[in-house]
Amino acid sequence: MTDGLALPADTDLSAPASLDGVRRRAWMVATVGIAASGLGFALDSTQFYRSYLVAWLFWLGIALGCFALGLLHQLTRGAWGLMVRRILGAATRTFPLLALLFIPIVLGMKELYLWAQPEVVAHDELIQQKLWYLEPRFFIARAVFYFAVWISIAWVLNRLSLRQDSERSHKLFRRMQFFAGPGLVLYALTATFASVDWLMSLDPHWYSSIFGISFIGGHAVSALAWLIPVALYFTRRPPLEGLLRPRHFHDYGKLLLAFVMLWTYFQLSQLIIIWSGNLPEEVKWYLARTEGGWKWISIALALGHFALPFVLLLSRDLKRDARRLASVALILLAMRWLDLYWLAAPAFSHGDSHAGLSFHWLDLATVFAVGGLWTAFYTQQLQRRPMLPVFEPYLGEALEDED
Amino acid sequence: MSQGPDTLMGKPPVVAPGHTSGSVTDKISSIVLERTPRWWWVGFGIAFLLVQLLLLSLTKLVLEGTGIWGLNIPVGWGFAIINFVWWIGIGHAGTLISAILLLLRQDWRTSINRFAEAMTLFAVACAGIFPLIHVGRPWLAYWLLPYPNTMGLWPQFRSPLIWDVFAVTTYALVSLLFWYVGLIPDLATLRDRSRRKWKKIVYGFGAMGWRGSAVHWHNYEVAYLLLAGLATPLVVSVHTVVSFDFAVGQIAGWHATIFPPYFVAGAIFAGFAMVLTLAIPLRAAFNLQDFITLRHIQNMAKVMLATGLIVAYGYMVEIFMAFYSGNQYEEFMLLNRIGGPYKYHWWALLLCNVLAPQILWIRAVRSRPWIVFLAAMFVNVGMWLERFVIVVTSLHRDFLPSSWGMYSGTFWDWATFVGTIGLFLALLFLFLRFLPMISIFEMRTILPEAKRPKESSS
Repeated sequence: MTDGLALPADTDLSAPASLDGVRRRAWMVATVGIAASGLGFALDSTQFYRSYLVAWLFWLGIALGCFALGLLHQLTRGAWGLMVRRILGAATRTFPLLALLFIPIVLGMKELYLWAQPEVVAHDELIQQKLWYLEPRFFIARAVFYFAVWISIAWVLNRLSLRQDSERSHKLFRRMQFFAGPGLVLYALTATFASVDWLMSLDPHWYSSIFGISFIGGHAVSALAWLIPVALYFTRRPPLEGLLRPRHFHDYGKLLLAFVMLWTYFQLSQLIIIWSGNLPEEVKWYLARTEGGWKWISIALALGHFALPFVLLLSRDLKRDARRLASVALILLAMRWLDLYWLAAPAFSHGDSHAGLSFHWLDLATVFAVGGLWTAFYTQQLQRRPMLPVFEPYLGEALEDED
Repeated sequence: MSQGPDTLMGKPPVVAPGHTSGSVTDKISSIVLERTPRWWWVGFGIAFLLVQLLLLSLTKLVLEGTGIWGLNIPVGWGFAIINFVWWIGIGHAGTLISAILLLLRQDWRTSINRFAEAMTLFAVACAGIFPLIHVGRPWLAYWLLPYPNTMGLWPQFRSPLIWDVFAVTTYALVSLLFWYVGLIPDLATLRDRSRRKWKKIVYGFGAMGWRGSAVHWHNYEVAYLLLAGLATPLVVSVHTVVSFDFAVGQIAGWHATIFPPYFVAGAIFAGFAMVLTLAIPLRAAFNLQDFITLRHIQNMAKVMLATGLIVAYGYMVEIFMAFYSGNQYEEFMLLNRIGGPYKYHWWALLLCNVLAPQILWIRAVRSRPWIVFLAAMFVNVGMWLERFVIVVTSLHRDFLPSSWGMYSGTFWDWATFVGTIGLFLALLFLFLRFLPMISIFEMRTILPEAKRPKESSS
């Protein structure tokens, strides 16, 4: 052990070649998904945009969650995040793709957002008062700004991490820490306004100040729910085989439990306050989500996004068993999509409480289209870096068997 | 490994090098067992006088009623609520340090948890006074509890004010238990080290027959961890309920969904400011720089900065939503805060809570205790102003301009508030004199000599 390195400097840490197979399958899924979405677009473009928005937000949530978790780890250090640092990092390099995938939303803006429809705005005084913010060009400019912030912070940190590997030095971690603090602040601000732009403004009359934080809490759940199955995949393949241990999954399980509780806390706070206040312009948002079939989605979220994972994740044995933990994570991943669907879709019936709930096959097709593309890109990014940051000072602690 | 990762990161140690179990025990127990320093009498004397002021104000209140305060319609909630929220928020740092940091295995909590928990208890005691005296007839305060009675009286369970009764009572009880359980092994140490008979008896009662056997330690560890688990949700729940007191209403400036997380962050923010306010002078007064090291000051400064940023986020979202909502009352509430009759309070609040803590971004500042102390003092003032702004500016100009009015605290409002500060300090001085302010046995566990020697791997 020289220079306090936890692993010999010449250890082969390149990502497993089996990722090529994953990528091929992702491309297949993407091709089918894109073809189906294309067909759906030709048949019903409005429905396509509605489904696409949710699908895009779902995959963006995973990438943003990985970004935030990585920043949090780089700021606070500690051993928990080092084992998956590169798994998180690869997700932050997908922002350019996700920015490109924002284009359909710009094209469909008029069909998605009431405030972008002049004929609606003309008859709606409340929306007229909000036009300083809900204005199409400003909306696009803000999106460009958010992505510029995310891409540049991710770029700086990824570059520093790569330099750390090539310079073989401990020196750069402090510089990364220096960027991580302001990075988190910028993330929180951009994500908050993005949540207002892309989700909250679907119902342009409604507002809730906890919405941004809730959106961020969702990202954290998404990131861990993605990370755990991916980490499971690597436990059986070199170079991480034998290095990713039950105690690491124990930590991820604890974090997942914490973020599930946090998400629930935000949701419950919002519900109690709006229910108690019972103001017409606020409570109708909940009415739209508890009437008709939506009631069942609300119940499914309460059970699947909180009660079930909460009870399961209390078990220490489950958290230490990567396979069972991954199945809980996959349930939560599905719930993340359902949560976004629950936030977005009721707004499309525009106050018509009889519209009720109706899933569309495009909801599924778009998830596969975006997800296939994203995963293909993601696996490619994974293969670009060694799977562990060897020159991180706490890596030795992270690799220890038990504490 | 010649250098641990902490040294590589340039972090100061949690305990200064060179200490042994014996020197730690000597140092901490001597504070309690040696002669009383003269400055203690001066400090306690001042605090004791302020307690007399509190008693005087409370007597006056009971004799004459809440009319001696500045409360009136439209501002029906004033100092009492502001002070209640301020004090209860301060308590939160103690619980966070003792429970959450324990569960997160943060060993730096060890030398600050004991007096932070004591601070929690005393802050909750001060906080508890205000709602009790605010009910107007404090001798009937037990009506708040649901109990069978012939008056047909039953609390309104949909009201967060009732949730407060339960939340705060639970909080006080669990904090007391947690603190006391943590004290038991140290009380035994004091019993063994006291030279006077009566001291041995008194500390002996407190130690509950502790002999330090393996069974004792095992039961102790289990109990302490369970209590930490019980106390953890309280860090969030108490201030969440406090935020509901405001947020479930319909007053612009109160009815905001961001309130729960933003209040909890504010409570931890205020609490860490108070811990720093106490820790920095104490380590200087008792020469405890070896135990409360720069590492502690730096870490607490970081927590204060982080929670302060969440609070600042709360302000920002409130401002944005006031304009985004398109709701004229929300918008007016905000403009009234920025430029209305209480504008100086609002701007001072931004200076104290948002601007001042930003200096803690700089590592060199975090390593200078007295600058951190100054930042913490700003936060102490800022958090009181925050509650003042929330309570008063939201109420004094509500929906109907014909019912607008102004509010200011009277002499008795201030006397009661300053009196509780006296009570807090008096209790703190007594604690310092009679109980070990740092957990002796836990300090021993983080000494280098307590670490299991690690086998060197290849």
